[in-house]
Amino acid sequence: METLQFLANGFGIAMQWQNLLFAFFGVLIGTAVGVLPGIGPMSGVALLIPITATLTSGLDPQSAAASSIILLAGVYYGAMYGGSTTSILLNTPGESSSVVTALDGYQMARQGRAGAALSISAIGSFVAGIVSLLGLTLLAKPLSELALSFGPAEYFSLMLLGLCAVSGLAGSSITKALIMTVAGLLLATIGMDNVSGVSRFTYNNAYLYSGLEFLTVAVGLFALGEVFRTILDRDKDDGNIAKVGRILPTKQDMKDSAAPIVRGSLLGFFIGVLPGAGATLASFFSYIAEKKISKNPEKFGKGAIAGVAAPESANNGASGGAMIPLLTMGIPGSGTTAILMGALIMYNVQPGPLLFEDNPEVAWGLIASMFIGNVMLLVLNMPLVKVFAKVIETPAKYLLPIIIAISIFGVYAVQFNTFDLALLLICGLLGYYLTKNDYPVAPLVLALVLGPMIENNMRRALTSSNGDFSIFVTSPVSLLFLVIGALWISVPLIMKMRGRSVIINEED
Amino acid sequence: MSKTFDRYASIIFLLIGVLFIFESRKISASSYGSNVGPDVFPIGLGVLLILLSIKLFIETMKNKRQETKGDKPDYKRFLIIFAAAVLYVLLLESLGYVITTFFFLVIGFQVLEKGGWLKTIIIASLFSFGVYYLFVEVLQGSLPGFPI
Repeated sequence: METLQFLANGFGIAMQWQNLLFAFFGVLIGTAVGVLPGIGPMSGVALLIPITATLTSGLDPQSAAASSIILLAGVYYGAMYGGSTTSILLNTPGESSSVVTALDGYQMARQGRAGAALSISAIGSFVAGIVSLLGLTLLAKPLSELALSFGPAEYFSLMLLGLCAVSGLAGSSITKALIMTVAGLLLATIGMDNVSGVSRFTYNNAYLYSGLEFLTVAVGLFALGEVFRTILDRDKDDGNIAKVGRILPTKQDMKDSAAPIVRGSLLGFFIGVLPGAGATLASFFSYIAEKKISKNPEKFGKGAIAGVAAPESANNGASGGAMIPLLTMGIPGSGTTAILMGALIMYNVQPGPLLFEDNPEVAWGLIASMFIGNVMLLVLNMPLVKVFAKVIETPAKYLLPIIIAISIFGVYAVQFNTFDLALLLICGLLGYYLTKNDYPVAPLVLALVLGPMIENNMRRALTSSNGDFSIFVTSPVSLLFLVIGALWISVPLIMKMRGRSVIINEED
Repeated sequence: MSKTFDRYASIIFLLIGVLFIFESRKISASSYGSNVGPDVFPIGLGVLLILLSIKLFIETMKNKRQETKGDKPDYKRFLIIFAAAVLYVLLLESLGYVITTFFFLVIGFQVLEKGGWLKTIIIASLFSFGVYYLFVEVLQGSLPGFPI
C-alpha cells in the first residue's frame, strides 16, 4: 500500500507540465537516436546530459535532477523502440539490441508486411515496458531495504561483482575487457583523493584536481568514436528502404504474437536485472527461445511475426529491468545505465538504496514518468512510423559533422575549458581504435563511474578491520558476491575452452 | 593489423601499470589513523594491469589466426575532419562560438561530400547561430561570443 502511495506521488511529479514535456522530448529524441544509424542509446544519452543540464539550470536541484533523469531515461527506452525501425525497413539495425529483429523483420518487410512488423514491435515494446515497470515498482522497496543493510565490505564486493559481470560479457576477449576495466579504475584515481584529501597524479594541472570528467570521457569514447568509425570505414547505406504499407496488424498477427510478447517481456526483464546482461543478450535469448518452442520453427528467418515480437519485447523489458540494480543498489549493469548514473551523480543525487528515502521525488518521479513515456511512445510509434522512417534518410554528410559539433558544444557548455575539449578529441580517437580492435569501452566507463565508490568502500571496510583484507571473505554476503563475480568471469572462459560459442553482449 | 595492435597495446598497458605504481609511491602517506593510504588502491590496480597485459601479450603470441583484410580506412577524409576539429577546439575561445562552428561544419560537410554549397551554408549557419541564440539568449548560458 505504501508503494502505491509513493507511486501516486511519483505521478504527481511526472504529470507536472515541464516533466511531461521532458518525457516527451526524451522519448522523441530517443526514437530518433534508435532510428539513426551510427548513434546508439549510449552516445545519445551522453550527448544530451549537457543539454538537460542547461535546460534545468533554473530549477531547484531536486526537481532539476528529476526532470533531467526523466528526459535521459526517455532517450534510453525510446531508443529501444526506434532501433527496430531500421532493422525492419533497411535490414541494418539502428543499434545492437535490434540485430535479431532484422532476421524476420526485414523478411516481413519484403513480403509487404513492414507496417505489421513495425506496429507489433511497438506493441511488444509497450507491453514489455509496462511489465518491467510493474516489476520495478514492486521490487524497488524490498531491494533497496535489503541493500541498506550492506556495510562497506558488502558494497565493495557487490560493485566488484557488477564490474566482473560487465567485463565477462563484453567483447570477445575477457582479458581485453578486464584490461579496460582496470584502466578505467586507474583513471578514476586521478584527482583529489576524497578520503585523505591528497592529490594523486595531477602534476599541478588545475583541471585534473577534480579528476577526469566522466561526461567528457563518455561522449568522446562513445559518440565521437562512433562518428570517427563511420567516417573512416565509409559506411555505405545504399539499401532500399522498404515501403511501410498497412500499419495495423491483422487479427491473425495479433494472435500469433500475443504469447511471444508476454514471454519476451518476462525473459527480457529478468535478463535486464542481471548486471552485465543487457538488451542485446535479452533479444538474442528470447529469439532462440521462441524458435525452440515454436510449432513450426522452419518459419523463423522467413518472416515469422513471433521472431519480431519476442526480441523487441525482450530488449525493452531488459532496459526497464536494468533500471532496478541502478536505482535500488546504485550498481549500473550496462554502459547506458552507467551514463545515467553519472548524470545523477552530476546532480548530487546518489543512486542506491538511499535514493528512495533521500530523493523520493527523483526515484518515483522517474518510475511514474516511464509509465507515461511508454504510452507516449506507443502513440508516437503507431501513426508516426512513416515519419520516423524518413529520418533514416538523413544524409550522413550532414549528420556526422553535426554530431561532432554537438559533442564539442555539450562538453564546453558544462566544463567551460579547452582542456576538456582536447581530452574529448583524444578519447574519440581512443574510442575508435579500442573498439575497432575488440577492446570494449563500456567497462572502462563503468569503472570510471564506480571507481571512487569502490575505493571508498574498500578503504572504509579496511579501516574498520584494521587493514585486514579477510573482512571481504568473512562476511557471508560479501563472500557470496565475490564468488558470483568470479564465476561470471570464469564460466564463459571454461565454456570457451570447451569449444562452445558464447553469446557476447555488444554495447548497449 | 589486429595482432600487431594487440601486441603494442599490451606493452602500452604494461607501461601504464608500471607508471601508476611508480608514481603512486610518491604520494605522501598522510592517512591518519588508518594503514590504508591513498596509494594502496592505485598500486594494486597497477599490479593487476601489468599481470593482465602480460596475459594479453602471451595470448597474442599464441593466437596465429589471420586477420581478414577489409577496406582500407579512409584516412584522408578523416584526417582533414580531425584537423578541423582540433583547430575548432583551439580557436573556440579566441574566435568565438559562431564563427568556429560555422567553418567547422562547412569543412565537415564538404569533405564528406562535395557540392551542395547553398545547402551547406544554410545548415551550417542555422546550426551555429541557432545553438548560440538558444543557449545564450533563451537559456542564459555562456559561450564565447564574437571576437572584439
